[in-house]
Amino acid sequence: MLKHITLAALAAGILAAGQAQADADVIKVGMSGSYFPFTFVEQDELQGFEVDVLEAIAEEMGVEVEFVTASFSGLFGMLESGRIDTIANQITITEERSAKYAFTEPYVYDGAQVVIKEGNEAVQSVEDLKGKTVAVNLGSNYEELLRELPYADEIDIRTYESNIEQDTALGRVDAFVMDRISASQVIKDKPMPLALAGTPFSEIRNALPFRDTKEGRALRDRVDTALDTLRESGTLQTFSEEWFGTDVTRL
Amino acid sequence: MSLLDLDYMLGLAPILMRYLPLTLEMAAAGMVLALALACGLAVIRVLRIPGLNAATLLFISFFRGTPLLVQLFLFYYGLPQLLAFLTQINGITATIMGLTLHFSAYMAESIRAAIVGVDRSQTEAALSIGMTNGQLMRRIVLPQATRVAVPTLMNYFIDMIKATSLAFTLGVTELMGATQKEAAGSFLYFEAFITVAIFYWVIVELLAWFQRRLETRLNEAYRR
Repeated sequence: MLKHITLAALAAGILAAGQAQADADVIKVGMSGSYFPFTFVEQDELQGFEVDVLEAIAEEMGVEVEFVTASFSGLFGMLESGRIDTIANQITITEERSAKYAFTEPYVYDGAQVVIKEGNEAVQSVEDLKGKTVAVNLGSNYEELLRELPYADEIDIRTYESNIEQDTALGRVDAFVMDRISASQVIKDKPMPLALAGTPFSEIRNALPFRDTKEGRALRDRVDTALDTLRESGTLQTFSEEWFGTDVTRL
Repeated sequence: MSLLDLDYMLGLAPILMRYLPLTLEMAAAGMVLALALACGLAVIRVLRIPGLNAATLLFISFFRGTPLLVQLFLFYYGLPQLLAFLTQINGITATIMGLTLHFSAYMAESIRAAIVGVDRSQTEAALSIGMTNGQLMRRIVLPQATRVAVPTLMNYFIDMIKATSLAFTLGVTELMGATQKEAAGSFLYFEAFITVAIFYWVIVELLAWFQRRLETRLNEAYRR
């Protein structure tokens, strides 16, 4: 049997042989490609705030940027296993993640927002989530934020791989929790019967995580320098205003 | 708002066409490798080769007993923690290897059943006229076993084509991954997913047509 596995591995190895090796002049950035308006695809073109920011960072550093799109649930696995250098998908700095990864300085300041189906009178704020069903994205930190609420036991949290907006619009769950910025954008730009419920209930800071190794931290420092330059030159602010109509890159 | 945004669907179709080759390539490569591996496993099982037989049983038990998604995650995200060189394997290759291992476990069993299903008297007759074991296999057993195995093997191939839609979890943008990202940009979920459903359906129907022709040819000797 071992022989056969080796054979299959060999054949697969031949297929892989044409693949380019990782080199120092390329920064590999993972993103879901499914998080409007940060990273999404229209007409086969990857775009969004994250794409603009990371392209500007790479230009500042004088390196090429290579975007790798995968399901959100696969992104941290890719970072861990060294297939990508960082994740640009509005990754919120949390205690657990800080212990494990080397983060840059935050480049987006945001809040957790409850979103409901239009006309859902029962949920008007985060307090109303008691006894309700709430959708969150798998691997995002909104589940954690909900669990920190004093009445967390009474919330039925459902974790989704994707499409939480759709399931809320369909009325299958009472609400979903996402960051305020993209929630507002979705409601403004897209044909979905959704509405914001109340004000953001928790402040979040989003940054780029790197592996907590010598190389990872060195790369993080270079990216931080580039971010500083972009912040001072007003480039970050310009991107933010282009995509969100407001500056979310400062406190 | 209309029920279906047909313009969007028509615009999406040519974009999805670009990702169709990758989906088909992964399925085709997976099928060829899985078939080769499955034949080897089936022979081991039929001949009950000592040692290898037990290993094959364990292999089949594991790859049939765990979900494909679990195997893909284990292989792509899990194992590289232990064996760093595995990160050299990209998502496409990992998907093909996952499909190969997973489906070969199923296919080995149906190939084995097809071989064992050839009546024993045929073997005895062949040996009585002095055929060697190799000749017996090539001329008598395998042609008959092939005819029996083809319908179920095609079934697995169809299943494998659809299983490639898991590749986006490994960062491979194939047909389904491209659809998910387009749907996230447009929020036209119904339109996007029905378009991709039609894609898969048409591919499978084309294959089913091919299968019918193949079966007719294999059945020629049995027509009365």
